[in-house]
Amino acid sequence: MVKKEVEPLLNKVQKPARYTGGELNSVVKDKNSVKLRYAFCFPDSYEIGMSHLGLKILYSLVNARDDAWCERVFAPWNDMEKLMRENGVKLYGLESGDPLCDFDLIGFTMQYELSYTNVLNMLDLGSVPVLKKDRKSLTPIVVAGGPCVCNAEPITDFIDIVLPGEGEEVTNELIDLLIEHKEKGSSRLDFLRQAAKIDGVYIPEFYDVQYNGDGTVKEYKNLETAPKTVKKRIVSDLNNAHYPEKFVVPFIETVQDRTIGEVFRGCIRGCRFCQAGFIYRPIREKSADTIDRQCHLISDATGYEEVSLCSLSTSDYSQIETLIQKLFKWALPEKINVALPSLRVDNFSDELLNELKKIRRSGLTFAPEAGTQRLRDAINKNVTEEDVIRTASMAWSGGWSSIKLYFMMGLPTETMDDIKGIADLSQKVLDIYYQNPERQKGKTPSVSVSCASFVPKPFTPFQWEPQDTPESLTEKQKHLLSSVHSRKISVSYHESKTSVLEGVLARGDRRLGKVIYKAWQKGSKFDSWDEFFNFENWLEAFDECGLTPEFYANRIRNYDEIFPWDVMDYGIRKDFLIEENKKAHKSETTPNCRVKCSACGANKLNGGKCDARTK
Amino acid sequence: MPEPNKWRSEVRVFYEKTGMAKYISHLDTVHLFTRAIKRAKIPIWFTEGYNPHAFLTFAMPLSLGVESYCETVDIRLMQDEDLEELAVRLDNALPPDIHISKISAPRFSPQEIAWADYKIIFNCAEKNLSLYMNDILSGSEITVVKKVKQGRKKVEKEVDIKDKILRYIIASENGNTVLNITLSSGAQNNINPSLVINKIAEGSGIDADRASIIKLKSYTAEMLEWE
Repeated sequence: MVKKEVEPLLNKVQKPARYTGGELNSVVKDKNSVKLRYAFCFPDSYEIGMSHLGLKILYSLVNARDDAWCERVFAPWNDMEKLMRENGVKLYGLESGDPLCDFDLIGFTMQYELSYTNVLNMLDLGSVPVLKKDRKSLTPIVVAGGPCVCNAEPITDFIDIVLPGEGEEVTNELIDLLIEHKEKGSSRLDFLRQAAKIDGVYIPEFYDVQYNGDGTVKEYKNLETAPKTVKKRIVSDLNNAHYPEKFVVPFIETVQDRTIGEVFRGCIRGCRFCQAGFIYRPIREKSADTIDRQCHLISDATGYEEVSLCSLSTSDYSQIETLIQKLFKWALPEKINVALPSLRVDNFSDELLNELKKIRRSGLTFAPEAGTQRLRDAINKNVTEEDVIRTASMAWSGGWSSIKLYFMMGLPTETMDDIKGIADLSQKVLDIYYQNPERQKGKTPSVSVSCASFVPKPFTPFQWEPQDTPESLTEKQKHLLSSVHSRKISVSYHESKTSVLEGVLARGDRRLGKVIYKAWQKGSKFDSWDEFFNFENWLEAFDECGLTPEFYANRIRNYDEIFPWDVMDYGIRKDFLIEENKKAHKSETTPNCRVKCSACGANKLNGGKCDARTK
Repeated sequence: MPEPNKWRSEVRVFYEKTGMAKYISHLDTVHLFTRAIKRAKIPIWFTEGYNPHAFLTFAMPLSLGVESYCETVDIRLMQDEDLEELAVRLDNALPPDIHISKISAPRFSPQEIAWADYKIIFNCAEKNLSLYMNDILSGSEITVVKKVKQGRKKVEKEVDIKDKILRYIIASENGNTVLNITLSSGAQNNINPSLVINKIAEGSGIDADRASIIKLKSYTAEMLEWE
C-alpha cells in the first residue's frame, strides 16, 4: 500500500511497480491486531530480492503467525532513492507503506558481501540509526542472516543480532522472545541477554576482540550471557519444515520468476573453492512426494509457467529421475515448463537428456571450473576431461547448438599452463561437434567461456590461501585470450576489482566496519553492479582507516592463526579443512560424500545424521 | 492462422486497470493475464509449435501510469462456458486493482477503434490553467513534439494534432482542474494523452508528472461504443 506522498514520485521513476506492493499473494494484515512487525530486507533491487527463496520461506513462515506481520523491503534504485531523499520520503515496507523505523525486527539477508553498503543505505533511508550504538530503545532490532554471516565481523557495527545457519526455527524463537520483552517493556540490553541464550544466536556486542601487533586476531572473549562459540542452526527434517504454499507474484519480471521446489540442503561434492558446499552441510533431502506436492500447490496458486528445482548440484538428488517424472506428469498437460539448473557433467545421463529434450531448448551450461586435470584435482572438482567431452558430445547430438562453460581464474596452485588448459578444453568441446555424424547440419556451434575470479572464503579448505592480485588476474586474462584460436569460442570474465573487495569483506574482521561506513558515506552502494561500483571510494576509505585491502586479501595465513569467524561453529572441523588444504597442494582428490564419508563433522549438527550416507 | 475448429469460441474480456495497477507495463500485463487465466483454470487455446504460449489479443497497449475503465483482451475458449461465471472466476484470480467488468462476444475488431475518451486531472487549481488550456485547445493548430519512427530510428517531429481532437470540456472538480477530452485512438492514428499534457505543461509551468490520466471509453469511427 503506497502512501500519498509516494505516489507523485512513481510517475518519474523506472519500473514503478517495484515500489507499489499489492502483488498477488502478498500479505496485508491489520497492524493493530499484531504484536510484532517484521521487515524482511533484501539489500538489492526488487527484481533480485524477489527471486530469493529464503525470503519466500521466511515471509510465509512469519505471516503464518497471527501475532506477527512480515513485510518486504528492497533497496530502491537510485532514481527512486534520489526522489525519496529530496521529498523526505522514508524507505517503507511494501505491504503497509510504513517507514522502516516503525518495525520491531528488521532482518537483512546477506547473500553476497558486495551488498553490505546497501544495508547501511537502507537503514538510513528508513530513518533507523545506521550504527547499532546509536540505537537505544528496545526496537527496532536489526538482525542479519544468510551465507555471508558465517563471518559477520565486518558488519557487526550495524547489526544487533546475527543468525548463522537456517532461519526457520530461530526466527520464531526470536519473535516469541521479542514479543515477550515488548510486553514487559524491557530494555534493549535485557532482551539481548536473553536472546544470547537461544541456540544459534550471535550477539556481536557480547564479544570483546583483541588483536595482535601484526593485525591478526589475538582473542575473542565472550561477555554477558554469550557462549564461547555460536553453533549454526539447521532444520533437521525438511519434509516437515515450513514451506510456502504460495509465492508473491511480482508485477514486473524478476530474475527467478517461477515456481521453485527446494530439493535438499547441503552438497555431497566437497569442491574446495565452494563455500556453499561446506556451510550448508549436512545433507538433508526432501522426499520426491513432498517436493512434487509443494511445486504443484505453488504452481496452482501463482499460475507460473515454469517450475525449477533449487539446491546445490541438483542432479545429485538421490531421487532425481523419480521426481522429474512426477513433475512432468502434471506439468506437461498444464503446459508448464520444467527447468533443471546446475547440472554436473559426470552424472548427466541419457535419460535425463531425453527428459530435457521434451522441454524448451536453450543453451546448456557446464562447469569444469579449471582447465587442466591437475588443477581440477587440486580444487577437488571430480570431473575428468572425458566427462566433459562425453557430455558435450551428448549435448551436441541432442540438438543443442551452444554450450556454456564456467571456469575460475586465480585458483590456488594455478599456473599459466592451467590457463591455457581452459582454451584447450574449450577447443576440444567445439571440435567434438564436427566429429558427430548426427549433428544438425546448417547450424553453427558456439562455445562461450565464462571466467570468474576465485575468492577464498571462510569455512573452506582455501580459507588460508592468498587471493590472486588484480595484476596477476589481468595477465591471466590476456593469456587466455591469446590462447583461444576460434571465433566460435567467446570469452568473458568478471571485473577483478570487485573480487578484491569481495575477498576482503569475506575474510575481514571488525575493524572493517569503519571502512564500510566511510565508503558508504562517500556514496558507495550497489557495489555488485558495475555501473555503481567505485573502487576509488573504497581505497580512500581503507587509507583513512589505516588499513589495507592486501592484509585481508593477499596475505598467506598460517594454520594456527585465529580467524574472526572462529567464533562461529558451522559443524565442519578445522582439522578436516586443514587436511583438505594439504591435499589440494598435492593435487589429491577426496571422494564425494556418497562414495565415502570424510568425517567433516557437520553431521553432529543433526544428531549424527547425514543423508549422503543413508540414501 | 491455425484452423478455427481448434477452439470453440473467441470471447472478449473487458477489464478495468486502476489504482496501483496503472504502474504495470503492457508486457507485464500480458504475463499477468496469462498467469491469472492459469490460476482460474480457464481452458484457452495455446499456440502450437516449439514454444507454446497462451494466445491472448489485447486491443490496445495502455501506457504506463494511465488508468483505464475500457481495457480488453480476447481469448479463445476450448469449450463452451458460462461467460458470467467465467468473469467471476477470472476476477477472483486477479490482483485487486484489476477488475473484470464483463466477458462477451466481440462486436468490433481492434482495427475499428477510432476514438477514446480520457479524463485528465491536473492536481492543482490555478485559475489561469483553465484559460490557458482553452487557448491552446481552441487554437487553429496544435503542434506537439512526437516521437516517430523513421526507418529503424526514432526521431522527434513536430506534428499538428488539431484534427485528432474530437471534443473537450474543461471543468473543476474538488479543487482540481479537469480536462475531459476525446482523442484519436487505434493502431494507426493514436494520440497519447501525455502529448496534450506536455503541451499544456510546457506553457503553463505545471508539473506534467502530477497529472493523472484515466481512459474511459473507446469508440468506432461512427462513434459507436467499441466493444
